[in-house]
Amino acid sequence: MTLLFARSHQWLTPSPLEILSRLLGFFLVFTLSGNTVVADTYKEKLDLQPLSGQFLLASFNFQNHGPIEAFNKQMFQLFPRSLGQILQYTHTRELHLRFALGRWDSELWGAQPGDGQNAGGTGVETWAWVEADNDVEAEARWTSLNNALSGLFCASLNFIDSTRTIRPVMSFNPTGDYPTTNTSRLFLLHGSLPKEPVCTENLTPFLKLLPCKGKSGISTLLDGHKLFDASFQSMSIDVRPICSPHTGTCDIEIQQTIDMVLDISRSLQRKDSPVPRPRDQHELICDTSKPYASNEYCYPMDNSIDLPWSLSDLFGRTISGGCPFAINLPAEETQHVCIRAPENKLTTMETLELAAPTLTEGQPDLKCYMLRENVPFDLSFPKQQPPISPLRQEPLLYAERSFTGHGQEHGGVKTVLRNPNPNDPIEVVYLESLPWFMKPYLHTFKAQVLPVLAGEEDVISELYYRPALDRKRGTQLEAKLIVPPNSVVILTYDFEKAVLRYTEYPPDANRGFDVASAIITIPPQRRRSDGKKVPATSIRTTSLLLSLPTPDFSMPYNVIIFTSTIMALAFGSIFNLLVRRFVAVDEVQRVDLKGKIRGLLGKLKKGKTE
Amino acid sequence: MDRKCLLAIGAGALIRLVLFTAFPSLPTILAQRVEISTPVTSYKRLQEGVYLYTHGVSPYDGGVFHQAPLLLSLFSILPPSTIITNLLYVLADIFSAISLIQIASSGVPTVTPHHVSPRKANSWPPWAIAAAFLFNPFTIATCIARPTIVFTNTIILHSIAAAVNGRRGPAFVSIAMATYLSLYPALLLPPLLFLTYDSLKATPKPSIQAFSAITMIMLSIVLMIYFKLSHLITGSWEFVASTYGVHLLLPDLTPNVGLWWYFFIEMFDSFRAFFLCLFQLHLLIYVPSVCLRLRKQPLFALITLIGISSIFKSYPAIGDTGLYLSLLMLYNHMFSLMRYTFFLAAAILYATFLGPAFYYLWVYAGSGNANFFYAITLVWSISNALIVADAIYAALRDEHETERPELIGKDVVQI
Repeated sequence: MTLLFARSHQWLTPSPLEILSRLLGFFLVFTLSGNTVVADTYKEKLDLQPLSGQFLLASFNFQNHGPIEAFNKQMFQLFPRSLGQILQYTHTRELHLRFALGRWDSELWGAQPGDGQNAGGTGVETWAWVEADNDVEAEARWTSLNNALSGLFCASLNFIDSTRTIRPVMSFNPTGDYPTTNTSRLFLLHGSLPKEPVCTENLTPFLKLLPCKGKSGISTLLDGHKLFDASFQSMSIDVRPICSPHTGTCDIEIQQTIDMVLDISRSLQRKDSPVPRPRDQHELICDTSKPYASNEYCYPMDNSIDLPWSLSDLFGRTISGGCPFAINLPAEETQHVCIRAPENKLTTMETLELAAPTLTEGQPDLKCYMLRENVPFDLSFPKQQPPISPLRQEPLLYAERSFTGHGQEHGGVKTVLRNPNPNDPIEVVYLESLPWFMKPYLHTFKAQVLPVLAGEEDVISELYYRPALDRKRGTQLEAKLIVPPNSVVILTYDFEKAVLRYTEYPPDANRGFDVASAIITIPPQRRRSDGKKVPATSIRTTSLLLSLPTPDFSMPYNVIIFTSTIMALAFGSIFNLLVRRFVAVDEVQRVDLKGKIRGLLGKLKKGKTE
Repeated sequence: MDRKCLLAIGAGALIRLVLFTAFPSLPTILAQRVEISTPVTSYKRLQEGVYLYTHGVSPYDGGVFHQAPLLLSLFSILPPSTIITNLLYVLADIFSAISLIQIASSGVPTVTPHHVSPRKANSWPPWAIAAAFLFNPFTIATCIARPTIVFTNTIILHSIAAAVNGRRGPAFVSIAMATYLSLYPALLLPPLLFLTYDSLKATPKPSIQAFSAITMIMLSIVLMIYFKLSHLITGSWEFVASTYGVHLLLPDLTPNVGLWWYFFIEMFDSFRAFFLCLFQLHLLIYVPSVCLRLRKQPLFALITLIGISSIFKSYPAIGDTGLYLSLLMLYNHMFSLMRYTFFLAAAILYATFLGPAFYYLWVYAGSGNANFFYAITLVWSISNALIVADAIYAALRDEHETERPELIGKDVVQI
């Protein structure tokens, strides 16, 4: 018992409740590891990968397995209880939640980590397989799931209503195993909130789900200031059941990942001066190849030098030792921090005890380190002489999407899909979820292949379309198509912009409306040329900003008054003619203005004399 | 039909064909104009509906297509050639002109069983009326932009032509079709009943009550047949909500020349239902009063109601105004009694030219806001409403002068 107390003193939070919960957790781990009862297994790993252009990709991965029987009985060990209860209450069998910010620059950085499976579209994206008897029940459970998650993650997930929910047909497949559940009872629902600004308030609950809650282990590096300063960041949570084909036992797996791309020079500059300032002239590195380059004119070269960095420089702190739940594992699973860099690239350690990295066979460019409990860890990366260009993996497909046309009446969407592979065609599924006020014309949907090849005109093999219903449902467009090798497929269509009621516009109506990212899924397939397997890959385009025509928000009363006046005028002049009859002028006693005044004066005089 | 009529029709067809062939991009440009195409008539939306229908997606389970199912089947069996579609629209306009010639030749505008205009010698010959329709810029623009309002107008004109000749069957089958296509022609039923009854050639005439009852039963049967056919075509009843529901409830607030769109953009949510009812009832209230007061000239009552609905219906376009103005030409003989012809013509021209300009400033240039175009729609609506009122004045004056010929040319007042 004294030993346990001594441990707890080193933790940072002084809250007695939290200490108690930690103690209980510890106690549980000790008792379970002492006995033969199967406990949750928790792993965490940080992958660092320098990218071209002085960027660093940091991928945090936290994974927890536990038996599903215990989960169903609400016996949560390391699985977060708050999330587990929500999933059970809403009968959600598989949940995927994404928070993303920034754009993954595949031209510069290459393929996305983890085949893009952990990345989401800008803002918040979520999809889940909900078990229900029918569609209506699934929809109700989906709504309550979103409301609960909204509270848990401090995000506007409760705004995912029927207009933002789609039911993809081809793009998503369950990643979990369902040996006992009838798959016809599983309903896939997908929602996205492209406008959601992902920020610190979403990171805090994310870290709270981890067993070490960001107090030890690699999660100590996750600081909101650094994470949301990154050029690209994506947080994901995936919960799914996993069954072993040999023993037939099922586990529930929760995997949390954070991918962030740090601009090394920017992060180092932040360390020196927290307030961004322009560099002094003597610090600038000028591009002398410019014709105007002189002592007075400088074209600064960015990100061109191989800067030395260390974890504490970039993240503002060191890793404060390993997470206790993730260190009592078999040796091959305890590679907590790995760096992927060319073989001859040097790395140095601050901590002497951990000097030697583990090298994985067959991967000479991967160096891994093991964290020890309560031993701070830092890694530094000295300046390389000569500079070494980082590794870049060619993505399977480049995708970009943009608006065409001008004006606020109608426009078009253009998506460019480029297959860089010189030999093999690639099959992709393109999914778009559009808001109801953007009304696409499917008859204008065209796919064009460049360069034009004979026999490759019709690249779209399947098309699923669900038109929008005003104020009830958004458009869902899903197309399966083949991008021929070394060519570009351009998808275009026209759409019309609806005018909304003035109460339906957001407060910043002239900024425009965000349109969710298109989701491009590459199903697992074999390459034709070498028979190699291509893993399932997912790519998101950027979100779009749609500007709609706006009314004048300041004049509801004026419009009501003007229109009513016109209608009254028309009504009056027509009915005036319809209900009265004609007579000649001399047949009626006409009282003109003169007569009226005379009559009035006469009355006044009469009054005076009285 | 004489040579002059044929010449007018030929020239009208020629000008349309020349516009279609010499400027191939003109139909697309005009089809996107909000003044010409509305969400319930637009050709681009019709194409989308046909595309979805032929690809097995119900077009009524979406927010884009709001037109009648029979149009859908008509356009899905047409070969997908622009020339054939264009010819169909030109033919529709020629058919309308022929109907107008029939109406003018029947003499009903000047002579009815209850009223003979003292100015009947001044009326225009049929070919001039056909030319006024065929060379009306609003009609031409509408024909080139190919909204489905062209077919509704043709059918309405055919129905009137049948009615003035006392052919009850064709008249009411047609008006049922027009109602089925765009709902608001239902307002024309009462004056059409009077018109047909007055033109009946059968002797002895049945009583008006019996005549109306039989006609209404016939009309309902025909309408039911149309609905049943539509149900067979689409396989469900959801087209009712997606076509007539849109006319009645205005879910699509795309700008047009009418008064509804901006009013319901700016309307407070709690009053939306109330004002929707009010606007529809407002349109309805003209029907009995116009029919009663203009009982002696049912054709004029019918034209007046066409004019009123072209201003106050939920999705009006210049095609509706074009129809009204062309029909008004039948009453050319009493234009001398109208009081504000110059002012109203100037106001119409003003709105016609400034409307597109202000719309451009709002939607494309960004240097104006929605109020610019809204102001022009107000001018357009009020000038149209005053044309209707002034025409009613002229017609009533004309009737009054028949009763009291001694007042011709003298000033009158209303009491």
